[in-house]
Amino acid sequence: MERKEIFEKVVKILTPHVKNQAALAGVSDATHILDELKVNSARLVDVVLAFEDEFDIEIPDEDVDSVNTVGDCVGLVLAKLG
Amino acid sequence: MAAQELRLRDRTALLLQREVGRLLAPLWIPVVIAVMRFGMGWRIEGKREARERFRALRRGSPGGLLVCANHLTMVDSFVIAWALAPAWWYVLHYGSVAWNTPERENFARTWPMRALVYVMKCIPVRRGGDRREVGRVLARFTWLVSRGEVGLMFPEGGRSRTSRVDTSATTYGVGRIVRALPGARVLCVYQRGNGQESWSDLPARGERFRVRVDELEPKSSRRGLRGSLAVSQQVLGKLAEMEQEHFHARA
Repeated sequence: MERKEIFEKVVKILTPHVKNQAALAGVSDATHILDELKVNSARLVDVVLAFEDEFDIEIPDEDVDSVNTVGDCVGLVLAKLG
Repeated sequence: MAAQELRLRDRTALLLQREVGRLLAPLWIPVVIAVMRFGMGWRIEGKREARERFRALRRGSPGGLLVCANHLTMVDSFVIAWALAPAWWYVLHYGSVAWNTPERENFARTWPMRALVYVMKCIPVRRGGDRREVGRVLARFTWLVSRGEVGLMFPEGGRSRTSRVDTSATTYGVGRIVRALPGARVLCVYQRGNGQESWSDLPARGERFRVRVDELEPKSSRRGLRGSLAVSQQVLGKLAEMEQEHFHARA
Protein backbone atom coordinates (compact mmCIF):
# COMPACT_ATOMS: atom_id res chain seq x y z
CA MET A 1 0.00 0.00 0.00
CA GLU A 2 1.41 3.38 -0.95
CA ARG A 3 2.00 6.20 1.50
CA LYS A 4 -0.50 8.45 -0.25
CA GLU A 5 -3.23 5.85 0.01
CA ILE A 6 -2.50 5.36 3.71
CA PHE A 7 -2.55 9.12 4.27
CA GLU A 8 -5.99 9.38 2.65
CA LYS A 9 -7.38 6.53 4.72
CA VAL A 10 -5.91 8.01 7.91
CA VAL A 11 -7.59 11.37 7.18
CA LYS A 12 -10.87 9.60 6.42
CA ILE A 13 -10.72 7.80 9.77
CA LEU A 14 -9.88 11.03 11.59
CA THR A 15 -12.60 13.11 9.90
CA PRO A 16 -15.63 12.11 12.05
CA HIS A 17 -13.66 13.08 15.19
CA VAL A 18 -12.39 16.43 13.90
CA LYS A 19 -13.92 19.47 15.62
CA ASN A 20 -12.02 22.02 13.55
CA GLN A 21 -13.33 21.06 10.11
CA ALA A 22 -11.63 24.10 8.54
CA ALA A 23 -8.23 22.62 9.37
CA LEU A 24 -9.06 19.58 7.25
CA ALA A 25 -8.81 21.67 4.08
CA GLY A 26 -5.06 22.08 4.50
CA VAL A 27 -4.32 18.82 6.23
CA SER A 28 -0.76 17.54 5.82
CA ASP A 29 1.72 15.24 7.54
CA ALA A 30 2.59 18.06 9.94
CA THR A 31 -0.99 18.72 11.04
CA HIS A 32 -1.32 18.19 14.79
CA ILE A 33 -4.27 15.94 15.58
CA LEU A 34 -5.15 17.35 19.00
CA ASP A 35 -4.00 20.98 18.69
CA GLU A 36 -5.02 21.73 15.10
CA LEU A 37 -7.74 19.26 14.18
CA LYS A 38 -9.07 19.51 17.76
CA VAL A 39 -9.73 15.81 18.05
CA ASN A 40 -10.66 15.01 21.67
CA SER A 41 -7.77 13.08 23.25
CA ALA A 42 -10.23 10.48 24.55
CA ARG A 43 -11.25 9.79 20.95
CA LEU A 44 -7.66 9.04 19.96
CA VAL A 45 -8.17 5.48 21.19
CA ASP A 46 -11.13 5.06 18.81
CA VAL A 47 -8.98 6.42 16.00
CA VAL A 48 -6.14 4.00 16.67
CA LEU A 49 -8.57 1.07 16.96
CA ALA A 50 -10.00 2.10 13.58
CA PHE A 51 -6.46 1.99 12.14
CA GLU A 52 -6.14 -1.57 13.43
CA ASP A 53 -9.36 -2.59 11.70
CA GLU A 54 -8.76 -0.70 8.48
CA PHE A 55 -5.18 -1.85 7.93
CA ASP A 56 -5.43 -5.20 9.73
CA ILE A 57 -2.56 -4.40 12.07
CA GLU A 58 -2.02 -4.54 15.84
CA ILE A 59 -0.82 -1.42 17.64
CA PRO A 60 0.72 -1.80 21.11
CA ASP A 61 -0.22 0.70 23.85
CA GLU A 62 3.20 2.30 23.84
CA ASP A 63 2.97 3.17 20.15
CA VAL A 64 -0.02 5.40 20.83
CA ASP A 65 2.44 7.69 22.64
CA SER A 66 4.11 8.47 19.34
CA VAL A 67 0.93 9.70 17.68
CA ASN A 68 0.79 13.49 17.59
CA THR A 69 0.49 14.43 13.93
CA VAL A 70 -1.19 12.96 10.87
CA GLY A 71 2.28 12.06 9.63
CA ASP A 72 2.93 10.14 12.86
CA CYS A 73 -0.20 8.06 12.14
CA VAL A 74 0.88 7.34 8.60
CA GLY A 75 4.39 6.43 9.77
CA LEU A 76 2.99 4.14 12.44
CA VAL A 77 0.74 2.31 9.98
CA LEU A 78 3.58 2.00 7.47
CA ALA A 79 5.87 0.57 10.14
CA LYS A 80 3.26 -2.00 11.17
CA LEU A 81 2.55 -3.00 7.58
CA GLY A 82 6.26 -3.65 7.25
CA MET B 1 7.72 3.75 27.26
CA ALA B 2 7.53 0.82 29.68
CA ALA B 3 8.19 1.30 33.41
CA GLN B 4 11.38 -0.76 33.32
CA GLU B 5 12.76 1.57 30.65
CA LEU B 6 12.48 4.60 32.88
CA ARG B 7 15.69 6.58 32.85
CA LEU B 8 17.89 6.66 35.93
CA ARG B 9 17.38 10.43 36.10
CA ASP B 10 13.59 9.99 36.24
CA ARG B 11 13.82 7.27 38.88
CA THR B 12 16.13 9.39 41.02
CA ALA B 13 13.82 12.39 40.70
CA LEU B 14 10.81 10.33 41.77
CA LEU B 15 12.65 8.85 44.74
CA LEU B 16 13.76 12.34 45.77
CA GLN B 17 10.18 13.62 45.45
CA ARG B 18 8.98 10.72 47.60
CA GLU B 19 11.56 11.46 50.30
CA VAL B 20 10.77 15.18 50.39
CA GLY B 21 7.09 14.37 50.78
CA ARG B 22 7.81 11.75 53.43
CA LEU B 23 9.90 14.15 55.51
CA LEU B 24 7.12 16.75 55.37
CA ALA B 25 4.32 14.20 55.83
CA PRO B 26 3.83 14.87 59.58
CA LEU B 27 2.98 18.45 58.59
CA TRP B 28 0.98 18.26 55.40
CA ILE B 29 -1.09 15.13 55.86
CA PRO B 30 -2.75 16.14 59.18
CA VAL B 31 -3.30 19.65 57.85
CA VAL B 32 -5.06 18.39 54.71
CA ILE B 33 -7.32 16.09 56.70
CA ALA B 34 -8.00 18.77 59.33
CA VAL B 35 -9.07 21.20 56.59
CA MET B 36 -11.55 18.64 55.25
CA ARG B 37 -12.86 17.64 58.63
CA PHE B 38 -12.91 20.90 60.55
CA GLY B 39 -12.57 23.55 57.84
CA MET B 40 -15.13 22.12 55.44
CA GLY B 41 -17.06 20.08 57.98
CA TRP B 42 -17.07 16.98 55.79
CA ARG B 43 -17.87 13.52 57.14
CA ILE B 44 -17.41 10.09 55.58
CA GLU B 45 -19.69 7.10 56.10
CA GLY B 46 -18.28 3.64 55.46
CA LYS B 47 -14.76 4.63 56.54
CA ARG B 48 -14.27 1.67 58.86
CA GLU B 49 -14.89 -1.00 56.23
CA ALA B 50 -12.92 0.92 53.62
CA ARG B 51 -9.94 1.24 55.94
CA GLU B 52 -10.01 -2.43 56.90
CA ARG B 53 -10.05 -3.50 53.25
CA PHE B 54 -7.33 -1.03 52.34
CA ARG B 55 -5.00 -2.13 55.12
CA ALA B 56 -5.59 -5.81 54.32
CA LEU B 57 -4.76 -5.18 50.69
CA ARG B 58 -1.64 -3.21 51.59
CA ARG B 59 -0.43 -6.08 53.72
CA GLY B 60 -1.11 -8.60 50.98
CA SER B 61 0.04 -6.74 47.90
CA PRO B 62 3.81 -6.28 47.83
CA GLY B 63 3.46 -5.73 44.07
CA GLY B 64 1.69 -2.44 44.57
CA LEU B 65 -1.90 -1.34 44.62
CA LEU B 66 -3.88 0.64 42.11
CA VAL B 67 -6.89 2.51 43.47
CA CYS B 68 -9.48 3.26 40.79
CA ALA B 69 -12.30 5.63 41.63
CA ASN B 70 -15.22 7.56 40.22
CA HIS B 71 -14.59 11.26 39.74
CA LEU B 72 -16.99 14.08 40.57
CA THR B 73 -15.00 16.90 42.17
CA MET B 74 -11.49 18.33 42.10
CA VAL B 75 -10.75 17.12 45.62
CA ASP B 76 -11.82 13.49 45.20
CA SER B 77 -8.27 12.25 45.72
CA PHE B 78 -8.11 13.94 49.15
CA VAL B 79 -11.50 12.56 50.20
CA ILE B 80 -10.51 9.07 49.06
CA ALA B 81 -7.21 9.26 50.95
CA TRP B 82 -9.04 10.28 54.10
CA ALA B 83 -11.58 7.48 53.62
CA LEU B 84 -8.90 4.82 53.25
CA ALA B 85 -6.70 5.59 56.28
CA PRO B 86 -6.22 8.04 59.14
CA ALA B 87 -3.51 10.71 59.00
CA TRP B 88 -1.22 9.03 61.52
CA TRP B 89 -1.27 5.78 59.54
CA TYR B 90 -0.15 7.57 56.38
CA VAL B 91 2.66 9.24 58.27
CA LEU B 92 3.88 5.84 59.47
CA HIS B 93 3.20 4.07 56.16
CA TYR B 94 4.08 6.71 53.63
CA GLY B 95 4.05 4.23 50.74
CA SER B 96 0.28 4.02 51.22
CA VAL B 97 -0.22 7.67 50.32
CA ALA B 98 -1.38 7.38 46.73
CA TRP B 99 0.47 8.87 43.80
CA ASN B 100 -1.82 10.90 41.64
CA THR B 101 -1.72 12.45 38.16
CA PRO B 102 -3.69 15.71 38.40
CA GLU B 103 -4.40 17.97 35.46
CA ARG B 104 -1.55 20.48 35.24
CA GLU B 105 -3.80 23.42 34.36
CA ASN B 106 -5.94 22.87 37.44
CA PHE B 107 -3.29 21.95 39.99
CA ALA B 108 0.15 23.06 38.83
CA ARG B 109 -0.30 26.41 37.11
CA THR B 110 1.93 28.39 39.46
CA TRP B 111 5.14 27.71 41.38
CA PRO B 112 3.42 27.49 44.80
CA MET B 113 0.89 25.04 43.34
CA ARG B 114 3.66 23.00 41.74
CA ALA B 115 5.53 22.89 45.06
CA LEU B 116 2.41 21.70 46.86
CA VAL B 117 1.58 18.93 44.41
CA TYR B 118 5.25 17.90 44.39
CA VAL B 119 5.10 17.30 48.12
CA MET B 120 1.72 15.56 47.81
CA LYS B 121 2.97 12.74 45.58
CA CYS B 122 1.56 14.12 42.36
CA ILE B 123 2.86 13.88 38.82
CA PRO B 124 0.96 16.60 36.93
CA VAL B 125 -0.09 15.82 33.38
CA ARG B 126 -1.65 17.90 30.62
CA ARG B 127 -4.68 15.91 29.53
CA GLY B 128 -4.94 15.95 25.80
CA GLY B 129 -1.34 17.10 25.63
CA ASP B 130 1.64 15.68 23.79
CA ARG B 131 1.19 11.91 23.74
CA ARG B 132 4.87 11.32 24.44
CA GLU B 133 4.63 13.40 27.60
CA VAL B 134 1.49 11.58 28.69
CA GLY B 135 3.31 8.31 28.00
CA ARG B 136 6.25 9.39 30.16
CA VAL B 137 3.91 10.25 33.04
CA LEU B 138 2.23 6.85 32.76
CA ALA B 139 5.65 5.17 32.74
CA ARG B 140 6.69 7.01 35.92
CA PHE B 141 3.40 6.17 37.59
CA THR B 142 3.70 2.50 36.59
CA TRP B 143 7.25 2.31 37.89
CA LEU B 144 6.20 3.70 41.27
CA VAL B 145 3.35 1.20 41.68
CA SER B 146 5.69 -1.61 40.60
CA ARG B 147 7.90 -0.64 43.57
CA GLY B 148 5.04 -1.30 45.99
CA GLU B 149 3.58 2.20 46.13
CA VAL B 150 -0.12 2.99 45.87
CA GLY B 151 -1.40 4.76 42.77
CA LEU B 152 -4.75 6.49 42.32
CA MET B 153 -6.42 6.78 38.94
CA PHE B 154 -9.77 7.97 37.66
CA PRO B 155 -10.57 5.60 34.79
CA GLU B 156 -13.08 7.97 33.21
CA GLY B 157 -10.20 10.33 32.47
CA GLY B 158 -12.01 13.33 33.96
CA ARG B 159 -14.91 14.33 36.15
CA SER B 160 -18.17 12.55 35.24
CA ARG B 161 -19.95 15.09 33.06
CA THR B 162 -23.14 13.02 33.17
CA SER B 163 -22.87 12.88 36.97
CA ARG B 164 -22.81 9.09 36.67
CA VAL B 165 -19.92 6.73 35.94
CA ASP B 166 -19.42 6.92 32.19
CA THR B 167 -18.89 3.33 31.06
CA SER B 168 -18.61 4.47 27.46
CA ALA B 169 -15.40 6.38 28.18
CA THR B 170 -12.75 4.88 25.91
CA THR B 171 -9.76 5.53 28.11
CA TYR B 172 -7.08 2.89 28.28
CA GLY B 173 -4.57 4.29 30.82
CA VAL B 174 -5.80 2.14 33.70
CA GLY B 175 -5.77 -0.97 31.54
CA ARG B 176 -2.30 -0.19 30.32
CA ILE B 177 -0.97 0.16 33.87
CA VAL B 178 -2.77 -2.94 35.19
CA ARG B 179 -1.40 -5.05 32.34
CA ALA B 180 2.10 -3.73 32.92
CA LEU B 181 1.94 -4.78 36.59
CA PRO B 182 0.97 -8.46 36.82
CA GLY B 183 1.42 -8.57 40.62
CA ALA B 184 -0.51 -5.42 41.39
CA ARG B 185 -3.99 -5.38 42.94
CA VAL B 186 -6.88 -3.12 42.00
CA LEU B 187 -9.12 -1.53 44.60
CA CYS B 188 -12.24 0.13 43.21
CA VAL B 189 -13.54 3.03 45.29
CA TYR B 190 -16.91 4.67 44.82
CA GLN B 191 -17.45 7.81 46.85
CA ARG B 192 -20.11 10.46 46.60
CA GLY B 193 -21.47 13.22 48.79
CA ASN B 194 -25.15 12.95 49.64
CA GLY B 195 -25.73 16.39 48.14
CA GLN B 196 -23.50 15.79 45.11
CA GLU B 197 -26.09 15.73 42.34
CA SER B 198 -23.64 16.48 39.56
CA TRP B 199 -19.93 17.12 38.99
CA SER B 200 -18.42 20.27 40.51
CA ASP B 201 -15.16 21.83 41.65
CA LEU B 202 -15.74 21.38 45.39
CA PRO B 203 -18.25 19.43 47.46
CA ALA B 204 -20.55 21.57 49.61
CA ARG B 205 -19.53 22.62 53.11
CA GLY B 206 -20.83 20.12 55.66
CA GLU B 207 -21.14 17.42 52.99
CA ARG B 208 -21.56 13.82 54.14
CA PHE B 209 -19.86 11.29 51.87
CA ARG B 210 -20.61 7.61 51.50
CA VAL B 211 -17.69 5.41 50.42
CA ARG B 212 -17.71 1.87 49.06
CA VAL B 213 -14.70 -0.28 48.21
CA ASP B 214 -14.29 -3.54 46.36
CA GLU B 215 -11.36 -5.47 44.99
CA LEU B 216 -11.17 -6.40 41.34
CA GLU B 217 -8.88 -8.56 39.26
CA PRO B 218 -9.46 -7.33 35.70
CA LYS B 219 -8.11 -9.52 32.92
CA SER B 220 -8.12 -9.68 29.18
CA SER B 221 -6.75 -12.22 26.76
CA ARG B 222 -6.67 -9.59 24.03
CA ARG B 223 -3.40 -7.95 23.13
CA GLY B 224 -2.36 -4.39 22.55
CA LEU B 225 -4.69 -1.44 22.88
CA ARG B 226 -7.84 -3.59 22.79
CA GLY B 227 -6.62 -5.55 25.79
CA SER B 228 -5.94 -2.37 27.77
CA LEU B 229 -9.30 -0.99 26.76
CA ALA B 230 -11.04 -4.19 27.88
CA VAL B 231 -9.36 -4.00 31.30
CA SER B 232 -10.35 -0.33 31.68
CA GLN B 233 -13.92 -1.22 30.74
CA GLN B 234 -14.03 -3.89 33.46
CA VAL B 235 -12.92 -1.33 36.04
CA LEU B 236 -15.51 1.17 34.81
CA GLY B 237 -18.15 -1.56 34.87
CA LYS B 238 -17.31 -2.34 38.47
CA LEU B 239 -17.55 1.33 39.45
CA ALA B 240 -20.92 1.60 37.70
CA GLU B 241 -22.12 -1.45 39.63
CA MET B 242 -20.98 0.16 42.89
CA GLU B 243 -22.79 3.33 41.89
CA GLN B 244 -26.02 1.38 41.48
CA GLU B 245 -25.53 -0.10 44.94
CA HIS B 246 -24.92 3.41 46.30
CA PHE B 247 -28.20 4.76 44.95
CA HIS B 248 -30.09 1.59 45.81
CA ALA B 249 -28.94 1.91 49.44
CA ARG B 250 -30.04 5.57 49.51
CA ALA B 251 -33.49 4.84 48.08
